[in-house]
Amino acid sequence: MSHSTEIDSKEAWSGGQSPFRVSYGKMMMWFFLISDALTFGGLLVSYGFIRHKWPEAWPKAEHVFTHFPFVEQHLPLAYVGLMTFILIMSSVTMVLAVEAGHRNDKKKVIVWMFWTIVGGATFVGSQAWEWYHFIHGTAEGALRQVWDMETGKYVEQIVYGANMTVNEYGPAQFANYFFFITGFHGFHVFSGVIINLIIFLNVIKGTYERRGHYEMIEKVGLYWHFVDLVWVFVFTFFYLL
Amino acid sequence: MSEFHDDYPQYELMANHSEEEGKKIRRTLWNVFWIMLAITIIELIIGSMAPSHGWSGTAWLQFLFIGLTVVKAGFIVMAFMHLGHEVKFMKYVVLLPYTIFMLYGIFIILNEGIYSGQPVNKAKMDHIIIDQQKALTNHDLHHDGAAATEGHKEGHKEEAHH
Repeated sequence: MSHSTEIDSKEAWSGGQSPFRVSYGKMMMWFFLISDALTFGGLLVSYGFIRHKWPEAWPKAEHVFTHFPFVEQHLPLAYVGLMTFILIMSSVTMVLAVEAGHRNDKKKVIVWMFWTIVGGATFVGSQAWEWYHFIHGTAEGALRQVWDMETGKYVEQIVYGANMTVNEYGPAQFANYFFFITGFHGFHVFSGVIINLIIFLNVIKGTYERRGHYEMIEKVGLYWHFVDLVWVFVFTFFYLL
Repeated sequence: MSEFHDDYPQYELMANHSEEEGKKIRRTLWNVFWIMLAITIIELIIGSMAPSHGWSGTAWLQFLFIGLTVVKAGFIVMAFMHLGHEVKFMKYVVLLPYTIFMLYGIFIILNEGIYSGQPVNKAKMDHIIIDQQKALTNHDLHHDGAAATEGHKEGHKEEAHH
């Protein structure tokens, strides 16, 4: 792998080559990811602020996310654990597609890209399922302080599920941040699946075979790993802590 | 093949490697996957044991989770995103600005969040929020505020039936 060899720093900046030893497209993908990471970083920082403001009222994730599809039992955090596993797994298949691309192995690229798309779509579907249960809430509901617009006071009311103004499980901010951050991440996964699908079709058509390199797979791979990376943090701050 | 390059090095083609190199790379990637899977399972086991053992919300547990998360993030960035194999300049350009910014962000949430979480300051801030909400209520009350509350109540009645 000749691009990985370290170069003399004087020679590197003297022109005629990239001092970073990467192509323009990959460099720009990295810059885009840094800016996107700053957006997610900002969201998680503001989430951390609100959480520190309400340390006693903040709900525990294991009391909120207890459902598992087709199983009636109380299984806290099991489904989100499975979702995390699916996303990490699809990251692995993506990196295997990138590796196959470096050997110009079209068949293997198609196989691994296919599984990456399947994993991504499963993750988006699981997130929709989790949102559905969070919005719907439990059959019993919970007594919460709700702001009454008419009297301008907080009144006690039974709340079922969560939306942008009320939340069965805790402060309304918990629901707001959950919808905003997981929604923003879910949209990234969704667009990642679409981009992967486009590149997948290009691989089948043989666009990259004719080009002589599969760098496009590497670029969408960077984006896909980034989505996984963000989920690792969202998982920790929303579900584990 | 690209037409628009002259004598500029083609980094796209330099990334290609042989069959034997590929085998070695694949082995490393699978090892990374097993480590990440093990970390996730450990996190979930500790997380599900926490409530019954009284560990929930303890400082050591939070530091453990954050530490394991950073380890996982490191594996993703260095192995999967291949940053570990890029040249030194590339690593610095990606990691340094972000790390500095996020360290500042972490400092500011801990500082401000803990301040506003103290009961004295919280009461002060709640008063501001309540005043703002009152001002907003007086403003929209005659437009759609009343209708919206009506809708909420109906929704709850429906839920209670089944």
